[in-house]
Amino acid sequence: MSDPAPLTTDHPGQAASATPPAPGRSRRLSDRGLAVAFISPALLLLLAMSVFPLLWALYLSFTDYSATRGGPAHFIWFENYTAILTSAQVHLRALTTLIYVFGAVTLQTVLGFAIAYLISRRTHGRGLLTTLFLVPMMLSPVVVGLFWRFMLDAQFGVINSMLGSLGLGQVEWLTRQRTALISLIVVDTWQWTPFIMLIALAGLTAVPKYLYEAASIDRASEWFRFRTITLPLVWPLLLIAVLFRAIEAFRLFDLVYILTSGGPGVSTETLSFHVYKVAFLGFNTGTASAYGILMVLIVIVLTQLYLRYLNKLKED
Amino acid sequence: MAVSVDEAVSTGPVRDHTPSARRFGGRGRFVLEVALLTVLAVVMLFPVLWMIETSIKENRDVYAIPAKFFDFKVTMDHFKDVFVASGGGRSTLSVSFLNSVVVAGVSTALATVLGVPAAWAYSRFAVKAKKDQLFFILSTRFMPPVVVVIPIFLMYRQVGLIDTQLGLILIYTAFNVPFTIWMMKGFVDEVPAEYEDAAMLDGYTRLQAFWRFTLPLLLPGIAATAVFALIFSWNEFVFATFLTSSDNVRTAPPAIAGLIGGTTVDWGLVAAASVVFALPVLVFAYLVRKHLVAGVTLGAVRR
Amino acid sequence: MRYPKRIGRLSVPGRKVQLATAAMLVATTVAACGGQDDGAKASAPKAPATIPELTKDPLTLSFIWFDWPPAHALEAFANAEYKKERPNATIKVNTVPNANWHDAIFTQFAAHKTDFDIPILDSQHIGEAVTNGNILDITDFVKTNIDVKAYNPYLLAAYGQFPQAETGKRDENASLYGLPLLGDTWTMIYRKDLIGDKPPQTWDQMISVAEKCQTDHPGVSGLAFHQANGSDAAAVTYNTVNGVYGGNLWDSKTRKIDGVLNDTAGQEAMDVLVNKMKPLTAKGSGNWFIDEVNAAVAQGKACIAFNWIAASGGLLDPKQSTLGTTREQILDKLGFATLPSQKTNLVPLGGMGMHVSAYSSKTNQAEALNFMKWFERADIQKKWAAAGGVPSRKDALESPEFLNAGPFNQVYTDSVPRMRDMWNVPEYARLVDIENTNVNAALNGAKKPKDALDDIAKEQQGVLDSGSRKGGGGL
Repeated sequence: MSDPAPLTTDHPGQAASATPPAPGRSRRLSDRGLAVAFISPALLLLLAMSVFPLLWALYLSFTDYSATRGGPAHFIWFENYTAILTSAQVHLRALTTLIYVFGAVTLQTVLGFAIAYLISRRTHGRGLLTTLFLVPMMLSPVVVGLFWRFMLDAQFGVINSMLGSLGLGQVEWLTRQRTALISLIVVDTWQWTPFIMLIALAGLTAVPKYLYEAASIDRASEWFRFRTITLPLVWPLLLIAVLFRAIEAFRLFDLVYILTSGGPGVSTETLSFHVYKVAFLGFNTGTASAYGILMVLIVIVLTQLYLRYLNKLKED
Repeated sequence: MAVSVDEAVSTGPVRDHTPSARRFGGRGRFVLEVALLTVLAVVMLFPVLWMIETSIKENRDVYAIPAKFFDFKVTMDHFKDVFVASGGGRSTLSVSFLNSVVVAGVSTALATVLGVPAAWAYSRFAVKAKKDQLFFILSTRFMPPVVVVIPIFLMYRQVGLIDTQLGLILIYTAFNVPFTIWMMKGFVDEVPAEYEDAAMLDGYTRLQAFWRFTLPLLLPGIAATAVFALIFSWNEFVFATFLTSSDNVRTAPPAIAGLIGGTTVDWGLVAAASVVFALPVLVFAYLVRKHLVAGVTLGAVRR
Repeated sequence: MRYPKRIGRLSVPGRKVQLATAAMLVATTVAACGGQDDGAKASAPKAPATIPELTKDPLTLSFIWFDWPPAHALEAFANAEYKKERPNATIKVNTVPNANWHDAIFTQFAAHKTDFDIPILDSQHIGEAVTNGNILDITDFVKTNIDVKAYNPYLLAAYGQFPQAETGKRDENASLYGLPLLGDTWTMIYRKDLIGDKPPQTWDQMISVAEKCQTDHPGVSGLAFHQANGSDAAAVTYNTVNGVYGGNLWDSKTRKIDGVLNDTAGQEAMDVLVNKMKPLTAKGSGNWFIDEVNAAVAQGKACIAFNWIAASGGLLDPKQSTLGTTREQILDKLGFATLPSQKTNLVPLGGMGMHVSAYSSKTNQAEALNFMKWFERADIQKKWAAAGGVPSRKDALESPEFLNAGPFNQVYTDSVPRMRDMWNVPEYARLVDIENTNVNAALNGAKKPKDALDDIAKEQQGVLDSGSRKGGGGL
């Protein structure tokens, strides 16, 4: 057991606290029983609903099983995996996903941090401002997707209508290769900038004021103060937020499904949209499982990174 | 540095009324910053306002070009259509809202019942490989739903849970338990273990101590946690769309998505349904505004 | 310190539990996977030739369709009329979003448990359902209960026969798995006030009329048609032009697509679609399907549009339209005509048949067969026509009940002998996705038309040939 102190309260200090220890044998037993009784239902549910399905998927990923065609599953070992890893179609989706995740997360980080910074410099109305900014994040992706699809419609959408009033031409937001991916990034950014903002704001308001005071005595430039005081203090928290968003963006399915359904052509098909097609159009369950397992591996790597930084943050 | 969301979200002014940084910024800079913030706020809020506006427009105004921002006739017909079917009686949309209430409510209750005791146990007892267990628990929450839905689908068809509310409830509970544990563990950590120790010195068992002394203190935290779990289940789309197909099981997100793709799209109805659907979430989110940071990071970041 | 001790004690049972759980999991996995081989039926189970005795208890007969007006019309019609024969039966038409239609039905088939008794399948879905044994073989039932001579043989074949009859002829010896529920095809919708009362007769003529109309009326685009990459939208559009320009989708005997679809006729069709028709459509119409085309017509933004007849009813609704404040005013401006012809006069076959779920209870299957027999009666088909449905019996198609029910119904009757369907092979869902995404890419400039067509042919051929491939299917 080597829990970092802030993660739990049962650090050694507690053992030496004023409370008399004197645990009788029966009480120790009941503690242990209690721990098992309290933790195991939750763990069992997770084993049944998360681990077991994944193990099953792992097994299917080595077979040619199809959920609709019936018939026994034949072991074909790594053929699904080699087929996926060598498929040009998959590479294309991986690239799309990469551009999307990178674009969206970068944009919302910059914007979210900027908004948080601006808000943190205001003295009045911060609560109201923050609350207003947070609205998009609370909406269901379904609502967000549908509504942006309506607003981005080239003919009847309000965005093009406004551009038209400014004397600009119509933009095909959802039906051109470049603009469709950009639209996807913009919509995701619209929804999730508040997330980064919220966390950045938490970091920014936690920067001790005396550090700024000291710096202003030194007549340090604003940029210097930002770079040497603000950023280093907010960065760990921001990094967590960024990683978290990266995982979420990688998993994203609903928005693509509703906003572009992968179009035009397949140019906004992300990996999670592609795996859906493999699983539910052709019902190539074996292939889809292997595809899914590979995606889970990526998520696990990202999660590990995320948790490592999270831990580091908590240890500081 | 243990401050802040409360402060960031609360309406009170900052503690330090004269941030030193301001001294160097001139009047022009102040104006610029406020202007920038205003523009950003307008951009972020416009889609929401447009949604509300569309929901009270008549259909012919919805498609008007150039878009009508102010001079349109207000109608409440779309909101009526959300709840009442065209031939009278209950609309399928309102049934789906009801299904959402049941599914989200029950899965949240289950996740709370399972998650809170576990969180308490993780906080109070030294459990073997606690860190690993907690990280394992959190990572199950990060699985891509489209991937999980494949084996879940196969599993459900074996046990007959396809297209049932119970099936949705179970999978939502499974996604909410990790969140509940992480979020609640933070709240439990904040309640000194000494309270329980003292109670036990008075002759209470550990369980009684938890039940009588710790749990009441945790109630606000439980409420906040439950609200976030509720929001997740309420908004979820992927499982709902792949695991259900009949009107009397389907929850609101796939039902709203199903409003487009017929023969005509009634954007007024889509907007009204979206507003009705989003309203509870916004109210709830406002109620738990103090815990937003923890809530949106699955309880992992709390400050 | 007492803590390490406590941990030590806790860990042993903990580990045991973990091991036990792992073992259980593995065991269940093996058992569960071994147990799911029951679906390995060679073909569809047979329905009885005569309808078994029907139940006297209250019963709900459930359908599944996608959410559109005919689904609501069917539920209202069946509850009003079928109840007269069978007072204890209630009809429920479950609806799912169009985009989710195939998935919703086939995931339930995969579950071997359906909450519907009568799935309403697209004609092309039959192959997949039959091969997997999901719907009943009703050949014997049809022989004893249905007057097949009353139908245009192709309609009977299109909505029920597998293997399929691509054009025209029904194979009397082939098995039947469904009966027509709703016939459909494309209609050309044209603005009489903009291009005159007489619809263009050839495809080329249609294009030049649209071009002139677009030039003469700024703000109105020449054409509106389905281009989306979901469902079968863009694919049907290409298939229609392909048919009109004398192309073929495949050679069903040799199962050859590559070299057939992308032959000279196919290339010409793609060229016409992308280089002549697409420039006449509204900007950003590349994701349009049924409802967007309807909206464009209703908003007066298109000279000529193509849409499914069964989806055109809303165009006459003054509440949705800017073309007039009454149905008559709208009809003064809108004309409905059969599609222009060019090298051939083929039109796309739409509509759906009704089938019987193999996983429904025997009682409900019997009721379903009874419903089908009832539905295909001459008098009921006429009533269905009057209620807004599109019948398939010849007598109903020629009846005043049908022809007077909607301005586009004559179009349907005239189109029946001209219809052509897509492949209804088990691989349909993947074939159509390949075609949809590639045609959509070509229409939106994401691919060159020729490359798109060649890609379709190559990838579809790959799907058809992949029966023996071991891993990585479906990528």
